[in-house]
Amino acid sequence: MKRINHTIKLIGLVAMLLAFTACHDLLDEPAENRTFTEETDYTESSNMISPLIGTYAAFYSRGWENFPLISVRGDDVNHGGLGDQQDFAETDMFRYNKDYWMYNSLWEGLYSDIYAAQSAMIEFELYKENGANAATADQYIAEAKTMQAFLLFQLARVWGDVFIPATPDPADLLVADLSTKQEVMQFISDQMDEAIGNLPAVHPNERTDVRGGVTRYTALAMKALANLEMENYQAVADATSQIISSGKFSLEADYYNLFKIPGKLNDENILEFQYSDFGQGSGTAITYLFAFFGPENWTPAVTGAGSGWGFYEPSLKWIKFMLDRGERTRLETSVLFTNRGIAAIKDDPNYATLPDWISNTTPSGDLINDYARAMFASGKHYLPSNQLTPGRTGYGTNKNLIGIRYAEILLMHAEALVQGASSSAMTADAAVNAVRSRAGLSPLSGVTLDQVVDEKFAELAMEWGTRYYDLIRLERYNELNYDGRTFSANLTYLPYPQNQVDQLPILGGTQE
Amino acid sequence: MKKLMFLFYLIFSVTVVFAQQIAVTGTVTEAATGEPIPGVSVIIQGTTSGTITDFDGNYTIQASGSDVLVFSFVGLTSQEVPINNRATINIQLEQSTELVDEVVVVGYGQLKVKDLTSSISTVNSEEIAKSPSGQAMQTLQGKVAGMQVVSNGAPGDSPTIRVRGIGSYPGSNNEAPLYVVDGMFFDNIDFLNTADIASISVLKDASAAAIYGVRAANGVVLIETKSGKNNQKAQVVYDGYYGVQVAQNVLKMANAEQFTTMAMESGSAPDIGNIATAMQRYGRSRINPNVPDVNTDWYDEIIRVAPIQNHSIDVSGGGEDASYSIGSSYFGQEGILDMKNEYERFNLRSKIDYKATDWLTIGGNMIFSNALKYGQSADAWSLAYWAVPILPIYDESNTDAWPVNYASAQHLGYRGGQNPMPSLDFNNNRLKIRKVLANFYAQFHLIPKKLDLKTTYNHSFTALNERNVQLPYYFSDGFQRENAGITRKTETFSNQIWDNVLTYNDQFDHHSLTVMGGASFRDEAWEMLTARGLDFPYENEESWYIDQSDRGSLPVDAVNDGGSRQYGMSYFGRVSYNYDDRYLVYGTMRADGSSKYQEKWGYFPTIGAGWVVSEEDFMNIPAIDFLKVRASWGELGNDKIRASDGARTTQVVTVAINDELVSGTTTSSTFSYLEWEVTEETNVGITSRLFDSRLSVELDYYVRDTKNAAINVSIPSVGGNVLRNVGVIRNQGFEAALNWSNQISPDFSYSVGANISTLKNEVRDLYGQQYIDGGSAEFRQRSMIGEPLLAFFGYEVVGVYQNDAEIQADPIAMANNLEPGDLKFRDQDGDKDIDGDDRVVLGSYFPSFMYGANLGITYKSLEFSTNIAGQSGNKILNRKRGEVIWTSDLNMDADLAINRWHGEGTSNSYPSSKGLRKGWNQSMSEYLVEDGSFFRVQNIQLAYNLAGKEIMGTMMPDARISFTAERPITVFKYNGFNPEVANGIDRQTYPIPGVYTIGLNVKF
Repeated sequence: MKRINHTIKLIGLVAMLLAFTACHDLLDEPAENRTFTEETDYTESSNMISPLIGTYAAFYSRGWENFPLISVRGDDVNHGGLGDQQDFAETDMFRYNKDYWMYNSLWEGLYSDIYAAQSAMIEFELYKENGANAATADQYIAEAKTMQAFLLFQLARVWGDVFIPATPDPADLLVADLSTKQEVMQFISDQMDEAIGNLPAVHPNERTDVRGGVTRYTALAMKALANLEMENYQAVADATSQIISSGKFSLEADYYNLFKIPGKLNDENILEFQYSDFGQGSGTAITYLFAFFGPENWTPAVTGAGSGWGFYEPSLKWIKFMLDRGERTRLETSVLFTNRGIAAIKDDPNYATLPDWISNTTPSGDLINDYARAMFASGKHYLPSNQLTPGRTGYGTNKNLIGIRYAEILLMHAEALVQGASSSAMTADAAVNAVRSRAGLSPLSGVTLDQVVDEKFAELAMEWGTRYYDLIRLERYNELNYDGRTFSANLTYLPYPQNQVDQLPILGGTQE
Repeated sequence: MKKLMFLFYLIFSVTVVFAQQIAVTGTVTEAATGEPIPGVSVIIQGTTSGTITDFDGNYTIQASGSDVLVFSFVGLTSQEVPINNRATINIQLEQSTELVDEVVVVGYGQLKVKDLTSSISTVNSEEIAKSPSGQAMQTLQGKVAGMQVVSNGAPGDSPTIRVRGIGSYPGSNNEAPLYVVDGMFFDNIDFLNTADIASISVLKDASAAAIYGVRAANGVVLIETKSGKNNQKAQVVYDGYYGVQVAQNVLKMANAEQFTTMAMESGSAPDIGNIATAMQRYGRSRINPNVPDVNTDWYDEIIRVAPIQNHSIDVSGGGEDASYSIGSSYFGQEGILDMKNEYERFNLRSKIDYKATDWLTIGGNMIFSNALKYGQSADAWSLAYWAVPILPIYDESNTDAWPVNYASAQHLGYRGGQNPMPSLDFNNNRLKIRKVLANFYAQFHLIPKKLDLKTTYNHSFTALNERNVQLPYYFSDGFQRENAGITRKTETFSNQIWDNVLTYNDQFDHHSLTVMGGASFRDEAWEMLTARGLDFPYENEESWYIDQSDRGSLPVDAVNDGGSRQYGMSYFGRVSYNYDDRYLVYGTMRADGSSKYQEKWGYFPTIGAGWVVSEEDFMNIPAIDFLKVRASWGELGNDKIRASDGARTTQVVTVAINDELVSGTTTSSTFSYLEWEVTEETNVGITSRLFDSRLSVELDYYVRDTKNAAINVSIPSVGGNVLRNVGVIRNQGFEAALNWSNQISPDFSYSVGANISTLKNEVRDLYGQQYIDGGSAEFRQRSMIGEPLLAFFGYEVVGVYQNDAEIQADPIAMANNLEPGDLKFRDQDGDKDIDGDDRVVLGSYFPSFMYGANLGITYKSLEFSTNIAGQSGNKILNRKRGEVIWTSDLNMDADLAINRWHGEGTSNSYPSSKGLRKGWNQSMSEYLVEDGSFFRVQNIQLAYNLAGKEIMGTMMPDARISFTAERPITVFKYNGFNPEVANGIDRQTYPIPGVYTIGLNVKF
């Protein structure tokens, strides 16, 4: 008995010790189903495109509230969506609420993709150090810089003084200083100078690796936009001249369809947010939430097509402005009318009779019914029901969102020239008339600043708040005092979101 | 006979050295009842040889005529009887009135209650059986001082358990205690049949829990399942109940008239227009022609009375060497939500212990649980809250609707369809849960009665098979589902623990010593695969497979494969020393290694001491039977934190480029180095028995600090958050548990008990920061030094602006374009504006005071018992009201509709209808934070015992018939269904129903 005891004891203890010692190594096993960044094999140059695609994925995946909040404050568009999202309406009326969720959401949405671009740039550098083609790596870095520039540009336009991220770790913002809007625009311009040489001199739709991606002309466009904000008109003229002289871009004759499926990756588009249902009636679809802009009540030509939320209403002021100019193409493309809306226009004795083409049926045959939230809907965010892939019903599914297009380049060019800059690429008259001619308007000669500004108003309404930021830059504040609004210069920028002020106290002290 | 021979052989083999043996026989009976007691241990004092009594309480032992026999049995007072050359010794054992022999399960062993220096609460099977619940932990509500049980009404879902507050930042179940079922670790014990549980011990303080080291920071709940007893005749027990669940305290929503009034007062043209549209579409009410002729009470429509039942049958018994307990059970519960919402569980179990030789005992325990759960539609409760009452369920004029003509609120002008019915009808969420817990042990008695080596291997295997089906429908253009969808998810969890424990027991002179040392290896693996299909022939359930779906449109983003594997290595030891039953010293140490953290090893010590004052000579007060003062200190770890959180990782993402789906990668740019979260706790307490042990008093005071608390820190500008070790969180409280029981006469006895506990949760340090924000940006919760973790943070409401004069007089109101009917916030810093600096802590979701009490009366065969429970000091964020921030197309509760401000003097706490739509009033403020206190009659039970009565000439088995009302009454002020909201944020909670059952327990 004793011997058995001892044997058991011995076997037990030895087995235990051996087994347990062997187990110790297991503590060093890494966690499963993660790809730890430090394990990336940077010598595998063919993988370098992955972070680039990832940067586009982050850039294209815009939260639905991004665009509305950036662009609602101009006199081209009203909030719409009455009775809902009160603070969105209040923002349109220049009564700001720092606690409103959209402010924080926009701030975080823009910055998180800026940081995605920052992280990607580090990846490209690592690939480059490990033998990847330097020119390709530099091109990818330049693409990420250009996307970052677009996001930073929006931030500075909305909030004025913002952070320029210096490192890829957002925690470093805790000790960062704010840059003035002027500094941000200069930073963008400098970044674009670095990027331009490394980017392919092709139209985005000529790219074979990332069709529709960033090219040299996208960076030039960003440079022009940043310099316009700085009122650095010669730099605007120079950048736009390069785009114009390239001959890569042209105005799409079919203005209506430019904003619809046929306009995807059009020759006119310089920067485009791409979405798709991949031609399939069901399954994966990557979309932007256009329903926000859609009419809340309609009888679509294709039954079953979903309606929208009834926000983002083209203003009566803008519609009347267009009627005054005798515009049809751009008005018909930009506005979906309801009968209630048409009646509201006619309420003004000056517009008691309207052209007979103004109706609540769109050129594509969708009937827009009356709804209480708004009188009009944005046509540039409208996808006709007959352009939906059969099987899809979500409003605007498969439609792209245009970021920058050639018409804006031409009009910036014209504005720079009338503001005193010079260019040999194209005259201000030619630039403005190219845009007017496509809209079916007669040419002008000796265009003035007012005419250029009006042309921008007509051409770029409901697009990225261009109108609002033009009025701010040109200090034409009075235009913003319409329909019960009272604007003053101290309302130019939104207050920083309370959620950010709580985290970054520097935002609390420097507000104007 | 063979068995007896074997027994004789065994006894002889050990005791062969002794000469002059005589055979002593006798019967052991219980003094109170005269019933024979099987299984009593009979040992010759000073030796290890002995026997146990058989089924009829008889024993036979060979001993020398001068030996002393020691008779002992759990729960009875041991007796030492000199043989004095007698051949027959019959013994009566008395019920032990002292703690002397009461043992309690502690980690990796047992300890006598009188030797404890830490705080452990044990609940036995009778208490557990009183509550008709599928969830064992639910039955403990109000019964353990210091443990908060937050009920969950959804069938099959576990309650939230918090032992002594919250030490870890909440999220992903890391605040839950560790459950140890027969040695195996679990995150929850939803698979256990409550009738299979013998006891539940809650190891509340660090000193008790420290033996479980890194997993024990939030307390440990030890569960022992029932086992058989040696020398016991086979006993067959049926236990079951059947009953109904009835929704309680159903929240009153605004009716059509109140809703219409609110809409009219809102000043919002679309809202007024929608009312008009409803009147056109559905007609005008004949009672009030300005209200649509529809008045839907959506809660009424989606709630039903639902059955609940449990049946279990258990056979247990044992011989001299082996004991067994084998059982099966069925539990079925339908949800009170009127859809395919139910939970069924069928369990099989067996537990066998066998003394193979005198140096080896082996045993095995298997539990197989097979459950089927049909989950609630995720949004049903919130949809019913928000759906407008002027919308009917069915709409005859909605002729395009398919497959039934449900009404859509879009036809009235609202943004969404609102009707909650499609959510109930066209979702089917099935989850199959199969769990196997197997544990096998071999115990080597290396030195008999002194040194044991026990090796235990545990394996728990869980397979989850989830099938969520969405069926297509059309009610209006924006209220439709084009494609039938099916999501499949399979998960397996395979967790293994191998424990090796060496235990040494010895007693010499006045010293009593237990030393335990051991090692444990842990392997936890998880695998998951999920995929989604669309467009399958959904008419027949047998076609609900991805295989049947349209292959061309399989959403590639919905295919996910996941897995994790973690290893743990632990070494632990315990010393428990007792001098003369007066002075107690206790200490444990555990070293835990984990593959989860960048820092691999952690060390968790504890020490404790006790002084049994009542054993001292100077302490000779008749009323005091037992009095012990104890104190302990210990450290614990928490590794229920996301593995390797904060490491830089790369994720795969997809994007549409040129109408093609392309995948790329993004790299997270935030990272942090995570360390162990360490909890340090000091506990002092008193254990006493007074007045002939009729009164027991247990008092405890604790201070528990979680250091290096891993807190979710928001990432500035980017959003999201990352865990960082940046805090010290303190929980401290006082607990008291009193029980009085008395036997007035043989026919009448009663017991009364009460427990109270206080809790103060406080952030002590944030490593240089003043606060860390949590919650969401719109509904801010803030952890500030000196305040509770995740306290609600916003404006204090002073009142409501009543008239224009008040507005004119207040520069704040003027600056913010306020009107009468808007909330007036307190300008805390007095700078004449309301901004971020004016926000204050509005309360915490942790109750500062919890209590429970029970009363039991037994009169002859009749038993009556009742429990109450309650809590106070906690706040609930009524986010249902706050959701208006996203859209104002919603209904609201009747309290808000009736008590809104609608003219001077009508309300000083609620804004006007117009005000509800304004951002100003939607800001996080006291208006949204409500008192969460409640008082509840937890359980009332009336039972009748038919103890072996003869009925019509036939001997009937022992039976017990009971009537139970579980949670019949809950009293609270909060404007919601239910004041039990685990994280304090009430967006939608499953109502906790009252349960009324009839039960039967029969022993054959």
